[in-house]
Amino acid sequence: MSEQQKYEPKIVAFLCKWCSSAGSDLAGVSRIQYPANATPITVPCSGSVSPMYILSALKKGADGVLVSGCHIGDCHYMEGNFLARRKLHLVKELLQFCGVEENRFRMSWVSAAEGAKFAEVVKEFVEDLRPLGPQEKLKAKRA
Amino acid sequence: MINVQDIRDTARDLLAKGEVRAVIGWRAGSRGMAAEPCVITKPEEADSLVWDPTCYHNLALNLVNDRKELRHAKQSPGAPIGIVAKGCDARAIVVLLQENYFKREDVYIIGVSCENSGVLDEKKLATQLKGFAPTAAAFAGDDFSVTTAKGENKIAAREVMADRCLECRTPFPKENNTALGEDKTGRDIEPQFAALQRFEAQDEAARWDFWQRQFDRCIRCFACRSVCPMCFCDECVVDSIEMKIAPETTAEEKANRIRWVERSATRAENATYHMTRALHLAGRCVDCGECERVCPVNIPLRLLNNKMEREAREAFGFEPGASIGGPSLVASFRDDDPGEFIR
Ligand code: SF4
Ligand code: SF4
Ligand code: FES
Repeated sequence: MSEQQKYEPKIVAFLCKWCSSAGSDLAGVSRIQYPANATPITVPCSGSVSPMYILSALKKGADGVLVSGCHIGDCHYMEGNFLARRKLHLVKELLQFCGVEENRFRMSWVSAAEGAKFAEVVKEFVEDLRPLGPQEKLKAKRA
Repeated sequence: MINVQDIRDTARDLLAKGEVRAVIGWRAGSRGMAAEPCVITKPEEADSLVWDPTCYHNLALNLVNDRKELRHAKQSPGAPIGIVAKGCDARAIVVLLQENYFKREDVYIIGVSCENSGVLDEKKLATQLKGFAPTAAAFAGDDFSVTTAKGENKIAAREVMADRCLECRTPFPKENNTALGEDKTGRDIEPQFAALQRFEAQDEAARWDFWQRQFDRCIRCFACRSVCPMCFCDECVVDSIEMKIAPETTAEEKANRIRWVERSATRAENATYHMTRALHLAGRCVDCGECERVCPVNIPLRLLNNKMEREAREAFGFEPGASIGGPSLVASFRDDDPGEFIR
């Protein structure tokens, strides 16, 4: 059994409950086929995603982290996704600066009606993560 | 050039008239040539104040500590507190004011301009002095005058100045109640972010290789956090010990308390600590360089700080410590903030 064949990237996905989370449900009920690599965590708004969530997920061994919220202009709390865009831009830059692969962190806007887009986002993410192999840089070495 | 007597006279005057209840400044230290922060409360103590290239400390930290003491003693500040402030100290005060840590009328800023100079980097100086221990240092125009057992040495300031001072564009404390020395805002001794640019020219593997070695070395003494005027929170998110334990707290709750960062100084925990520190200081760090100066294991913390600083400037047009009004970096946004990275 070779590593390459066995390796399935683990994704932690922080999904806004007003849009992307419903979008992922729609992908499910529409029976769209997409990889089952993402563990969804529903959050009230993309703006509520603290950088600590992302760092913590990587520390606990996530191979990739996805944050997905409502399209700009559609945030339930008006400005949450604007704030997320700025804050997570900094996180993305900092991770890359420290030498963590660009493709370990991803953000998307997926509405409740975009089940197909959600499936596409996850599929692409998995494809981009696969060649990177397991994320060891920020993972805590713990039993 | 500033005559130290002017600083002393200003402080003495303010204290004598009761306009301030104390003055935070620097005095001769007990460790060789380096000055140390002090808080004077009597006019006659004003003569102990000094102003020389060893006034490294960002005194805004002492302002924060004063505020904490007052709060813990449940005292109201009464008269304002005076503070001698370099350019970077004053920028730190501006950030604190912007965040409503205290009110403008609570502080009396005695600004001191570094003019074409700045503070010493003791490591650079040691190299220049080839083993002779310095006992005193003074400003001398574009030079420093450094005394050793062998007598006085004139050394060009730019040879032994701290990196952050070489890159500093705002050596004059713009926010002040009274200011001494010439306004040299906009001076350009060395290009800004040069080290950052060199670092970024490396590829991903080299960058990680570098940071992994840094993260491995950090002993998590938290000196970098303790020295930063902007790290003023009573409870820090990286301290997992700060959970309120009540009689009814169950063992399970204690075991499952949220620990964003563990105390153990391992690579992964340290990496999380450092990225968290950098992010929590984004748009707030004024590049006083104190964190890097105090680190016992020489972690290049300014690289992380400068990365965030340049990102804030280039992506969001934000300058930390530039003005008291206006929102903070991550509590605001513009419609045209970059978003191409989002799918
Ligand atoms: S970076 Fe340096 S100062 Fe900060 S905790 Fe680590 S060892 Fe201490
Ligand atoms: S992070 Fe370091 S350089 Fe920035 S304000 Fe704090 S002590 Fe100064
Ligand atoms: S409510 Fe969905 S991003 Fe704010």
